Amino acid sequence: MEHTSLLERILRGAALTLVVIFFMFPIVWIFMMSFQTNETILRIPPQLIFEPTLANYTALITGKLMTAAGTLDIAFMRNLWNSVFLSVTSVAVSLLLGVPAAYAFARHKFRGSEDIAFTLLSFKFAPALLVLLPLTLYFQKLGLANTYIGLIWVYQLICLPLILWIVRGYFEDIPADIEYAYRIGGHSWFATFRKIALPLAGPGIAAAGLLAFIFAWNNFVFALVLASADKQPVTVGALAFITSSGIQYGQISAAIVLSITPTLALALYAQRYLVEGLSLGAVKG
Amino acid sequence: MHEKEKDLIEAFLRGQVDRRGLIKGLGAMGLAAGTAGTLLNLGQTRALAADFDWQAHKGKTIKLLLNKHPYADAMIADLENFKKLTGMNVVYDVFPEDVYFDKVTAALSASSPEYDAFMTGAYMTWTYGPAGWITDLNEWIKDPAKTNPNYAWDDFLPGVKSSCAWNGKPGGALGSEDAKQWCIPWAFEQNNITYNKGMFDKAGVGVPGNLDEMISTAAKLQKDIGSGVYGIGVRGSRSWATIHPGFLSAYSNFNEKDLTVSADGKLAAAMNTAGSKAFHAKWVQMIQESGPKDWSTYTWYQVGTDLGAGASAMIFDADCLGYFMNGGDNKMAGKLAYAAFTANPEAKASTPNIWIWSLAMSNFSKDKDATWYFLQWASGPEHGLFGATKMDFVDPVRQSVWKDEMFREKLNKSYPGYVEMFDASAAGASIKFTAQPLFFDLTTEWAATLQKMVAKEVPVDEGLDKLAESINGQLKEAGLG
Repeated sequence: MEHTSLLERILRGAALTLVVIFFMFPIVWIFMMSFQTNETILRIPPQLIFEPTLANYTALITGKLMTAAGTLDIAFMRNLWNSVFLSVTSVAVSLLLGVPAAYAFARHKFRGSEDIAFTLLSFKFAPALLVLLPLTLYFQKLGLANTYIGLIWVYQLICLPLILWIVRGYFEDIPADIEYAYRIGGHSWFATFRKIALPLAGPGIAAAGLLAFIFAWNNFVFALVLASADKQPVTVGALAFITSSGIQYGQISAAIVLSITPTLALALYAQRYLVEGLSLGAVKG
Repeated sequence: MHEKEKDLIEAFLRGQVDRRGLIKGLGAMGLAAGTAGTLLNLGQTRALAADFDWQAHKGKTIKLLLNKHPYADAMIADLENFKKLTGMNVVYDVFPEDVYFDKVTAALSASSPEYDAFMTGAYMTWTYGPAGWITDLNEWIKDPAKTNPNYAWDDFLPGVKSSCAWNGKPGGALGSEDAKQWCIPWAFEQNNITYNKGMFDKAGVGVPGNLDEMISTAAKLQKDIGSGVYGIGVRGSRSWATIHPGFLSAYSNFNEKDLTVSADGKLAAAMNTAGSKAFHAKWVQMIQESGPKDWSTYTWYQVGTDLGAGASAMIFDADCLGYFMNGGDNKMAGKLAYAAFTANPEAKASTPNIWIWSLAMSNFSKDKDATWYFLQWASGPEHGLFGATKMDFVDPVRQSVWKDEMFREKLNKSYPGYVEMFDASAAGASIKFTAQPLFFDLTTEWAATLQKMVAKEVPVDEGLDKLAESINGQLKEAGLG
């Protein structure tokens, strides 16, 4: 057993506390700002003691904001809903398409399989701005511009390659012998995929799904270029508080708190899968 | 509406009663000013409908692309009147300012027919116009069949109106005979001084009358006020937006130019003249002595926020930025005052460079005539007056609105010195840049050079020589020099 001296433990504790404070400070500060008015936020020097107010959250949730230039309508809750809807449906579609494809690429070597897999991965290479303008033209011709379906389709550029390549790695790590044994027992190919491969790669799929969700949630430019104001995600919506008549720091902070909540909740829930999933591929039994 | 009130309003519309008399009269009939304004608006809408076929495009829908801005809010607040007047429907997309121009550029470069009209800055039309993305509006303005007789194109401030017109030739004078009207001015910003009256009184200083005084006043304020307050707020980020407000307004007041245009239309850099070097040296000194500590990150927002929070004693920037900071929940609300600024001691008046929020028509609009109906209403005198008196539509672009007593009174009551500031510099207010397609590249580089000078990385003379050399190279490369 390893013994650590008291001094070492104290020093270690202090160092850890410092690191946590350093990394958590901006988040805590934003959280505190979300309960303050612009006036208290902009005090010189900044103060830790303030009278909390729920006005920022009320403004966001009711969609009415009082500013120097009168009442403004804010569509923030709609932006939040757009983000949830676009991210969840895009990841769901990617999982439906990507997981079977990943299994096929992992288990069945057919002519051109590597090329197809690489082509799908190459979607991640091109910067979004490079493909957006041609996409806009195509979307206008196809009637997909300014539709949720069109956006979910474009979001596949973010989610599908990610899920496909991560999950493929997990399927490759599952020993094929387990599946052969199950097949010899008289089960069909699909039953083997469903009962053996999927559960074994479950953590990996959860991890890839979560990562894809975070990437989709953080996307900014696709909806901005391809859709109207009513279909914008929070990443664009949060900018609405920076207006010519002043920056609404309180509302921005409240918007940030509200917009990181879903991702944070999902990440906390899926944390065990994530850690297990990310380390599974690294250890060969 | 009751007969009495109706008669009074119609008398006003015929010009027999002035605005003040009208509001007084309606007040005597027991109507609050707000209601009176609404009635007047209704009356005006009816009067508008009387002498022009506003219903020609009834049932049609147009779509606008708008920037999230008090000017757009003013228009949206009045939109029902347009719908009533024309029987048309208007839908709009509002995008935050931070990404607004990206959205505009994406829509226009994809030839998207989605938007019929949009808000734009005059500078942007120097790119959009030659690219064929927007329409020359002269065709509509000059056609009496398509433009209502009350539109009064001559009512626009001449400097502002001509700043939105360009013939498309690099170096071509704005507002020339052959110029195309790429956009219609909607509301604009003059660059002058907004200052904290309390701080000025405390330090015992007056409003600076020229650049040397501005430097010494800012330094004295910084020394005397203390507690971290700095003397003067100006922008400093590596962007064209650093050059166009206070900086260029003062620069052009000394008759200095960004570029020169030769007889055969060739452009050349003009930042390295002796006059320009002297001006730059003073400007740099002012920022080093009394500017914000992290000046090189300063944009519109930081300059404004600091003034509103009492962290700076004055700004030399857009007058309407100072206007906004004097209201709302700003700590210094109600404590700011305004003054025109003449940088050059030998100049007779202030000659501010201006930013103009304008309305442009997309070349890809499916119904340009119907779109023009909206544009002429939105830039018309009635909406201009509504926006100015009821909302924050400063600075209006029409002379008739500036003559309106109620509007002037509103400003005089809460914005001390604003009207005088405007009157003193309106005649000399126009865009001072040379119109050319490399505008954004060259001004960004200019700002970068300014940053190096302030950071003492390069002496002023040498920095400007290098800048001129680089700009001349780029102009030649683009076939402009």
